[in-house]
Amino acid sequence: MPSEDCRISVLQGTLDLIVLRVLKTMGARHAYAIAARLQQMSEDLLHLNQGTLYPALVRLEQQGWIKGTWGRTESNREAKFYAITEAGEKALAQETLRWRRMSGLVDKLLAEGA
Amino acid sequence: MRRFLSRLTNLFRRGAAESELSREIASHLALLEEEYERGGLTPYDARMAAHRAYGGVELAKELHREARSFVWIEQRFKDLGYGARSLRRTPGFTALAAVTLALGIGANTAIFSVVNAVLLRPLPYKDPGRLVTLLHGGTDPVAVANYLDWRDQSRSFEAMGAADYWTPNLTGGDPPEHLWGLQVTQNLMPMLGVQPMLGRLFRPGEDQPGSEHEVILSHRLWQRRFDSDAGVLGKPVILNGEAYTVVGVMPPEFQFAPFWATHAELWVPDAFGDRVHNREGQSLRVFARLKAGVTLAQARAEIGAITGGLERQYPGTNRSVRVTPLRENVVGDVETPLLILLGSVGFVLLIACANVAHMLLARTSDREKEIAVRCALGAGRSRVIAQFLTEDVLLAGLGAFGGLALAAGGTRALVMLAAGFVPRIQSVAIDAKVVLFLLGITLLTILIFGLAPAARATAGDLTGGLNQGGRGGGGGVRRSRLRGFLVASEFALAFILLIGAGLMIRSFVALESVDPGFDPHHVLSMVVSVAGSREAEAGRRPTFYRQLLERLGAMPGVVSAGSINHLPLAGDMWDWPFTIEGRPKSGPGESPSAIYRIVTPGYLETMRLPVLRGRAITSSDDERAPGVVLINEHAARRYWPGEDPLGKRIAFDRDSQGGLTWLTVIGVVKDAVQGDWAAQPESECYLAALQHHAFLKDPAANWAYLTLVVRTSGDPAEFAPAVKRTVWSFDSNLPISEVFTMDRVVADANAQPRFEMLLLGVFAAVALVLAAIGIYGVMNYAVVRRTHEIGIRVSLGAARTEVLRLVVRQGMLQVLTGSAAGVGGALLLSRLMAGILYGVRPTDPVTFGAVAIVLGVAAFLAVYVPARRATRIEPMVALRHE
Repeated sequence: MPSEDCRISVLQGTLDLIVLRVLKTMGARHAYAIAARLQQMSEDLLHLNQGTLYPALVRLEQQGWIKGTWGRTESNREAKFYAITEAGEKALAQETLRWRRMSGLVDKLLAEGA
Repeated sequence: MRRFLSRLTNLFRRGAAESELSREIASHLALLEEEYERGGLTPYDARMAAHRAYGGVELAKELHREARSFVWIEQRFKDLGYGARSLRRTPGFTALAAVTLALGIGANTAIFSVVNAVLLRPLPYKDPGRLVTLLHGGTDPVAVANYLDWRDQSRSFEAMGAADYWTPNLTGGDPPEHLWGLQVTQNLMPMLGVQPMLGRLFRPGEDQPGSEHEVILSHRLWQRRFDSDAGVLGKPVILNGEAYTVVGVMPPEFQFAPFWATHAELWVPDAFGDRVHNREGQSLRVFARLKAGVTLAQARAEIGAITGGLERQYPGTNRSVRVTPLRENVVGDVETPLLILLGSVGFVLLIACANVAHMLLARTSDREKEIAVRCALGAGRSRVIAQFLTEDVLLAGLGAFGGLALAAGGTRALVMLAAGFVPRIQSVAIDAKVVLFLLGITLLTILIFGLAPAARATAGDLTGGLNQGGRGGGGGVRRSRLRGFLVASEFALAFILLIGAGLMIRSFVALESVDPGFDPHHVLSMVVSVAGSREAEAGRRPTFYRQLLERLGAMPGVVSAGSINHLPLAGDMWDWPFTIEGRPKSGPGESPSAIYRIVTPGYLETMRLPVLRGRAITSSDDERAPGVVLINEHAARRYWPGEDPLGKRIAFDRDSQGGLTWLTVIGVVKDAVQGDWAAQPESECYLAALQHHAFLKDPAANWAYLTLVVRTSGDPAEFAPAVKRTVWSFDSNLPISEVFTMDRVVADANAQPRFEMLLLGVFAAVALVLAAIGIYGVMNYAVVRRTHEIGIRVSLGAARTEVLRLVVRQGMLQVLTGSAAGVGGALLLSRLMAGILYGVRPTDPVTFGAVAIVLGVAAFLAVYVPARRATRIEPMVALRHE
């Protein structure tokens, strides 16, 4: 389907960073809310199977950057809410910086035709 | 790091993680559904949409698992589960393979536990590697004056001590007991670097005359006779009628001496007294500790120089003194046999591995289709190999487990069998080192029989199996070559083992057919010691001996009774110099000598040891009669060649006036075994007990006992209680020890060759059976695989005999190749065995021939059965054969 073609797959390794960023701005959120937010922000350009969020969440939690706790949604359903931790904020700052440098460099190289 | 730990813990809380994941996914889906419903979809459509948006639930789970834990390890667990199931599906195969491996692993572990305790574990003394012995010819005892000279003149040793056999009677308790003990110099135990468990060791000066009445007890004696009472320190015990003060108790693991007097249970100081000038009476064993930095060669050179000087000064007294590492004295005799056994049992394991490898190969071929299907479904080759290796590990694990159980039983049996002649055998145990060994050989086993899976992995083209699909093709040239190699190796190893066992059997038969000179059946023997008792008194002893033997001879069921000082094979042996009347005085160290036996009239009769010429000793050869002596054939030939020894006179001792005590040779006795069953008899003489002054009068412990021999009409062992009662009817304080039947004494003398024969025989039998099973399995398999081909041959007109010949030839070719290689190996092994063989050459053609026949017949039978089956293949059935 042609419409699918303009969707972008999440670049390997960047999903963790994006999730951290979302949690930092929005506070504690469950996985569905995170997925919905990503979809909304990227204006549906991001192709994301919502299931693929889980490995990212596990990795982040295992690194101690986010913390999950079971709670209830407004509609009174149970869900696991993830919140960014202090270590996570630090990591976010570092990783953002790194990403900027990286993307800046790639931009530059692409612009100058190397 | 943090993630690592978390993943590690998730490995073990898989269930919890999994259910949490399901819960989270369910919640996520519910939220999505809700969202879609709010957007106006029907509940059903909403659910479908939610699933679509979510992506594959299973895929998500798999991704989650991968991030959460170590997939590799989880896969291994899965392989284990799968492997266990697959082994359970073929219980026959699994049981046979596991039992085969258990046999190999168990036997190896059992033998290793002996090697470990006897050869590998250091002697239980401080820095045992620096302990040496100084003995004549490396084995024979030393005179006191020589020991003192060596000690004082040498510089190579930190300390030099000595020990003397001492077998006192312990009285004052019930029953009286004849004990094994040692008289030791004061410095000996400190030199060993041992500490007593209670009390102290001897202090300097306590081995001087007058202060030597102290005793140190072994832990066992302390438990047995003193109820483990710590209050025993300072108390007197009565040894040979004299009071000794207990000064110390040794810890349970202490044993000294580690060779020769291994049963010693007590130690007293050795006060040499007037023996300090004695260079003739050789009874001391000398022990020393090398100084740090001094090598064995340096010590040997120094002792060589010192003894050389002493030999010039006192000719004949310091010959061939050898400095030997203590360890060599202890294990020298058993090291080679034990290593041969370890090697042989290693061969058994190799054969077992080869057999399991066959079985695995056959199994893989049968599973080609399964493998192909799994590959087609996307299993990586490494994953398939991992699966097979897992099965190998499981099999080996089963084998190791069974092996451990087998080793536990086998070790106990070995200890029982080898108790009499292998030093330190009692300390054999399955300890950490043995378990480590077991794990090691199990790993090795996996490697060896795992070569088969490796081979089949490299055989390539696993997917080809789908096409081949069990239609029974040739099975691949490379694979059948591997099988051929395995069979040939098995037969080579089996050949070597059978030669080893065959030589031992021949050797043992030769030993059994040795004529001991006497008739050991129906004879009971026991040592009665009178030292320290009423009966030791000079006036009472002759009467006591006479009456005791009379009363024993009159017991119902007793044919005859007699006594000797030292029983052949079991007792001590004194080699004493003598003078022959009318011959010039011989040079120092060259005087005639003979093994010195003292017998009562009934001895020769009871042992059925014939007098070939002259007459036997009778009861009238007493103290009033002229001295008489019997000599054996060897002495007659050696000292009176071409002469008649009867009527000639010899003298061992001098009387109180310094004159020689002449004894007239009254008879020549048949040569009989002496100390060692297999050794050639030496010169030996028999003196008359009832006219022997020291035997009847000397209060010293080494004179005041006799060994009774009683010939019975029934089972001699049953007479033991009655004979003991008769002895105690004279004096209930007389200790009786070493109660043996003569048959048992003879059996014990041959215990080591019997042990070696038994074990090698068992190993060889197992090897033969395994090798036969191996070739049978391979040929049987080959026939089944070739059913199709054979069917075609038969339908094209091949005669049945031709088919038979075809199959038999293929099998026997492998057997012959293996056996040929085995001959080379066997020649190497038998050369190692030369030292433990008796009466048979290592290259004994009879053994080699017999083994070739046995192996050939076994192999032929194993090949013939499947070959016969091949001839019965019906072409039509064969062509339909799947």
